[in-house]
Amino acid sequence: MRMRKCFPRTLCLAAVLCLIASCAWANDSLPYDCYNYDYWNNILYTPAPYVPDGSISGATLEWQGQPLGAFRMPQDLCVSPEGNVYIADTGNNRIVVLSGDLKTVLQVITDFDANGKKETFSSPYGVAVSQNEQLYVADSQNHRIVVLELDGSFVKYVQDPKSEVLDEKFVFTPLKVSVDYADRVYCVAQNMFQGIMVFTAEGDFTGFFGTISVKISLWEKFWRKVSTKEERSKQQLFIPTEFTGIDVDDEGYVYTSNKDTDGIQAVRRLNPKGEDVIRKGAKENLGGDRVFGTVGNYSGPSQIVDVVYRDHGIYSLLDARRGRVFTYDHEGNLLYIFGGIGTQEGTFRVPAAIEHLGSRLIVLDSQQANVCIFSETEYGRLINQAVSLRYDGDESQAVPLWQEVLRLDENNELANSGIGKAYLSAGDNEKALTYLRRGMNRAYYSVAFKRWRNEMLAGNISWILTLVVVLVILLMVWKRVLKPRLAAARTAKGGRTA
Amino acid sequence: MKDMFSKERWKYLFYTVSHPSDGFYWIRHQERGSIGIAILLVVLYGVVFSMNRIYASFVVNDIEPRTVNSVAELAGVLILYLVLCVGNWSVTCLMEGEGRFKDILIAVGYSMLPMVVGTVLATIVSQGVAENEEAFYSIIMGLGTAYTVIMMLIGIMQVHNYTLGKTLTTLFLTVVAMFIIIFLALLVFNFITQVYSFFRSIYTELVFRV
Repeated sequence: MRMRKCFPRTLCLAAVLCLIASCAWANDSLPYDCYNYDYWNNILYTPAPYVPDGSISGATLEWQGQPLGAFRMPQDLCVSPEGNVYIADTGNNRIVVLSGDLKTVLQVITDFDANGKKETFSSPYGVAVSQNEQLYVADSQNHRIVVLELDGSFVKYVQDPKSEVLDEKFVFTPLKVSVDYADRVYCVAQNMFQGIMVFTAEGDFTGFFGTISVKISLWEKFWRKVSTKEERSKQQLFIPTEFTGIDVDDEGYVYTSNKDTDGIQAVRRLNPKGEDVIRKGAKENLGGDRVFGTVGNYSGPSQIVDVVYRDHGIYSLLDARRGRVFTYDHEGNLLYIFGGIGTQEGTFRVPAAIEHLGSRLIVLDSQQANVCIFSETEYGRLINQAVSLRYDGDESQAVPLWQEVLRLDENNELANSGIGKAYLSAGDNEKALTYLRRGMNRAYYSVAFKRWRNEMLAGNISWILTLVVVLVILLMVWKRVLKPRLAAARTAKGGRTA
Repeated sequence: MKDMFSKERWKYLFYTVSHPSDGFYWIRHQERGSIGIAILLVVLYGVVFSMNRIYASFVVNDIEPRTVNSVAELAGVLILYLVLCVGNWSVTCLMEGEGRFKDILIAVGYSMLPMVVGTVLATIVSQGVAENEEAFYSIIMGLGTAYTVIMMLIGIMQVHNYTLGKTLTTLFLTVVAMFIIIFLALLVFNFITQVYSFFRSIYTELVFRV
């Protein structure tokens, strides 16, 4: 029976798959796996959410009639509000500006005129464009952040932070930089473990932000207690984890990625006070891969090197260990995973930065010195849209989208749970139960279950009560009348008494 | 065999559950117990254990159905039962315990009844609970388990004619004995495998060379 029921569905799925294969990439010709984790952390392969859509290297571009020349160890890229792409070409000491289609070079910034003095960059490591359309360059080996107008004219430096909390010997080496709507500058600096450095719009250092407290286990505490001073000095220092990337969303919340050796939380969402307000989802895990090997190549927790805030609460993390891109929604649900290490187009060697460009995602690879472009598939678009609708509070509108997602990927727990919630609000409790169970959504399942239970009780209470009354009467009759009579009859016969 | 499952034996099982102290005493001294029923109860617990893991409602059940292997779990429960009884017997033999191996088997086996009933009841109740009501489920489970532990304690105490303190001491030693048994079993198993592979490699060598 079950077999027969399944048959049309599989046929349907096969048809859909054929359709996808004919018009875009088939999953088996992709250079990477696309998967997600289910409730029990099993890996479930999914259709591709994003497929490679070409790559850009400096060698293929032209600037003022001359070839631009290959990038050298580029470390960061960002997208301006206008949609232009800024690449920090670290090894060539220049900033390259590309148009939104990544085909034409709009500008190459190699020097700027700082109050009459010609200045250049030295290993510009990070780049950001503010909402007020100013370019911020983390000029790492010159130990300053350079602020320029988008046309390349000089605005100011942010440098030489002065504070009691900073060590006298501290050398400010900015690596990654980001700016919020009020032009506050957030900067990840080299060898700075106390947190993200925050500067005001005027360029004054105000303090650290989002410090990650060190976790010391009881066992480590015990060993520190019993070891001598000499031994302790040779032990590894307990240093807070490093931040690796920053992005600021429209509301001014700062998304930061960090290295996490436990693979539990590699991204934070910091409010203006510097507190982490991210939602971690049902599995309490924002660390990329949930299951990984412990020995050999590609083992260990994901090493998240950059984060990009996209729209409607969706953000993506870039993993340098296995070259994956992990995408989460505002509730901390893992939406989809794609990408891999390799040399084929669409895979990375040392991915360094990620950005979104409309519906596309672009990843900068520092080793291959190119920008990989990924375009959204039907599957990715459906999930993105459905999640966005939920973020905006139009969950009921997301149902047809989730149904489409289920057609492509039967196992999708988010889709099942989204449909279940819709049935719940529509009052169809039994269907809600089925879908919420498949979506492994305990909280909403319970709500549906309570409603279903009340309905059942209300509908059947009359005959249940009748049954109870009848049973009680029968029991009384048995005890008072029949049992004594039987006993009497037995004793009269001379048989055994009960 | 017929006597093992006779009506009297079954009745005595329930008497033991309701009067553990008395019940276990007469099991030792008047042969009122039945090994058949005891083993049956342990088997039943093995079955019920897997059943609970699969059929307990989604709200209280966090177990992946694909990891439930009822045959392995049944075997596990039976092996644990056997090791526990052997361990207890080997310790109590040396500590003036009056119980025979048979009595220990029965004492432990009979004690499983509350846990069997508790697990079945809890599994049924779980079908009707929603979130925040899991307490009903866990209370029933907990009561069953607690009663089983108490019965087992009283059973071993009565069968060996021990005081409570001595029972607890022997139970601790039983756990140690169990670990030793398991260790030795693994050692022997490993040894046998080595011998087997030795002869097997000789055989392969011969087949290839001769």
